[in-house]
Amino acid sequence: MNMPVLGRTMLALSLSAALFVPAVAHAETLSIWARASSSNAAQHMIDLWNASHEDKIELTTIPDNQMVTKLATSVQAGDVPDLISFDLIFMPDFMKAGFLTDLTDTLGADPNQAKVAQAFRDLASYDGKLYGTGFTPDVSILLYNKGLFTQAGLDPESPPKTVAELEKFAMQIKEKVPGAYGYYFSGSCGGCNIFTQAPMMWASGATLLPTSGDAPAMDGTGVKEVLTMLRNLWTAGAIPESAEADTGANFQATFETGTVGMQGSGGFAIAALKANHPEIDFGIAPLPGVNEGDASSFVGGDVIAVPKGSKNAAKAIEFIQWQLTDEAQLNALAKNLILPSRSDLADNEYFKAEPRYITTAKAVGIGKTPYAFKFNDMVNADQSPWLTMLQTAVFDGDIDGAIEAARETMRGIAAQ
Amino acid sequence: MAAANPAAATFVASEQGDAVSAVLRKYQGLFYVLPALVFVVLFVLWPLAQLVYLSLTDTSLLGGGKFIGLENYAKALEDKSFWRALGFTAKYTVFITPILMGLGFALALLTAPNRPLQQLTRGIIFLPVVIGIGSSSLLWFWLFDQQVGMFNRILVDIGLLSEPMVWFTKADPALLAVTISITWKVIGFGMLLFVAGIQSINGEIGEAALIDGGNYWQRVWYIILPLSLRVIMLTTLISVIGSMLAFDQFYIMTGGNPRGQTFTSVYWIYQNSFISFKLGYGAALSIILTLIILVFSTLQVILSNRSPQA
Repeated sequence: MNMPVLGRTMLALSLSAALFVPAVAHAETLSIWARASSSNAAQHMIDLWNASHEDKIELTTIPDNQMVTKLATSVQAGDVPDLISFDLIFMPDFMKAGFLTDLTDTLGADPNQAKVAQAFRDLASYDGKLYGTGFTPDVSILLYNKGLFTQAGLDPESPPKTVAELEKFAMQIKEKVPGAYGYYFSGSCGGCNIFTQAPMMWASGATLLPTSGDAPAMDGTGVKEVLTMLRNLWTAGAIPESAEADTGANFQATFETGTVGMQGSGGFAIAALKANHPEIDFGIAPLPGVNEGDASSFVGGDVIAVPKGSKNAAKAIEFIQWQLTDEAQLNALAKNLILPSRSDLADNEYFKAEPRYITTAKAVGIGKTPYAFKFNDMVNADQSPWLTMLQTAVFDGDIDGAIEAARETMRGIAAQ
Repeated sequence: MAAANPAAATFVASEQGDAVSAVLRKYQGLFYVLPALVFVVLFVLWPLAQLVYLSLTDTSLLGGGKFIGLENYAKALEDKSFWRALGFTAKYTVFITPILMGLGFALALLTAPNRPLQQLTRGIIFLPVVIGIGSSSLLWFWLFDQQVGMFNRILVDIGLLSEPMVWFTKADPALLAVTISITWKVIGFGMLLFVAGIQSINGEIGEAALIDGGNYWQRVWYIILPLSLRVIMLTTLISVIGSMLAFDQFYIMTGGNPRGQTFTSVYWIYQNSFISFKLGYGAALSIILTLIILVFSTLQVILSNRSPQA
């Protein structure tokens, strides 16, 4: 069959065009893994991105306690997601292990990166290089029950400003309000307590976790002051008996019973209490230090990074930079009453109607996160030196011995 | 070429056919077990060999790892926490096994006859077996809760407790709480195996005993129990192995507390492998635990083989 020259030319051009066009306009689908506790915030961010970009992002939620194993095995198997969002506390270990892509030249040059909370910038740096940034932060604060404050004769608008005041208020609630407790903490949860008790210690200048075998550990008066305060409250019965065995399962549930005056908690508590317990009139305050004005906080939450071996690294970095823009921080996070990771956006239009969010957002700016390798060994493990110290000091009463033992064990771990 | 002498060709072919048949006959059994053998080699022996190798290295979950010989095993011998966990696991096993066997057998005696009420009861008792152990542990964790736990409330209402107690601040109440939850969860499985054992006993033996004037308890003691011994041994073996490998229920309900007193061996292996990232050391602990279980299982199998058959 003969075809006219013109026809053959047109056909060839059409075929070429057909081959060429998709190569230019081909949209990618990027994969991201996020741990369960931050997947809600991550989904808001992804939805906003997907609504305005041709490249799409698909979220896979990983149970919190499986993230480390999953990432480690996937990197070693060479089958990684394009992006990963995980607990920032693991950044030092992951960066050191070489699991993450160096973003110094791209993200490091982004002006928005300089506005990200200091804690995220510190934790995402290793050996002078940058490997990630803030994604879905959370921060520890002091949560208090205004109703119980009033019943105990305390001013509900004046939360404690020092550790001593916290103890005094807690005792007063225990004495004046039948069936109520002054304070609560999860006595068998290392992670919960580094989040809520540690800031009260380092607000007073304490250094907690060592970075090497001869570095300071559990150093500073704040450590003993806070442990003594907890011990006094425990012996006075101002802390519920169930606290000793709580592995974190009741971290929030006990306060929700309305019988606890104060407890260290996280910014996430605001939305949860408003939604599930509108009957509880609660306030938010910075975690106090030994002296007035020493307030601090633990900046937790998730960082975002690109695992080594990501098949769409360039586009993944594009997403990371986009999520730091005003548009993403305000419309995906703040609008949904989630903390932005940029400190300069703490005071935003969405938080104005709920001043408690401004308190938490500002805490991101004053808070910090310990930079330590083997954080799990030192803090999270069920028999970690950090947890053992708290338990021995508070429940057994040997405060000095507990601090000394923790110091020695932590240095041993850091030296490995 | 062969076509030049068809008879010779047929003879050669026939000779070859016989040889092939002989080979096939010789290895026929092997061919039958080959699929299972391949499965076992791929999914049991090969991973086991890898585990043994891993236990001889200092591999971390974060990568790397070099051969260090028996260092991990030497370290394990001095690891007080591991031996304490192993001791607690043995205590748990010794505590829960008689309960599971005794109660399971009693329930089997009650529900063995194939009458509608007994069949329904069997079904109800067996129901928790199909629930995941993680879900059931979580359920019981909240039932035991001091503030909102229904189990605590019931104990107070019937006068066994003066006020709701915290079950997980002391090792013994924690062990009791886990035992109650696991008994509820798995008792149906043992019962079902015992029912199968009881039902397989020749009915004529029971009838003969009845004619001889044997009462119910005599028939249970002298006929049902001895003739169910193999099933009892098998069920005990399964139960003991399950208890020695206990993890989920303690991970969810006690978190190893108070102060690590309810860590089981597997929980400690998990802590080392996935919390402290020491995969090599965790592998060595796993091998030690496997060997211990192997010794006990072998003993039980030997005893089981000496029992009379129904």
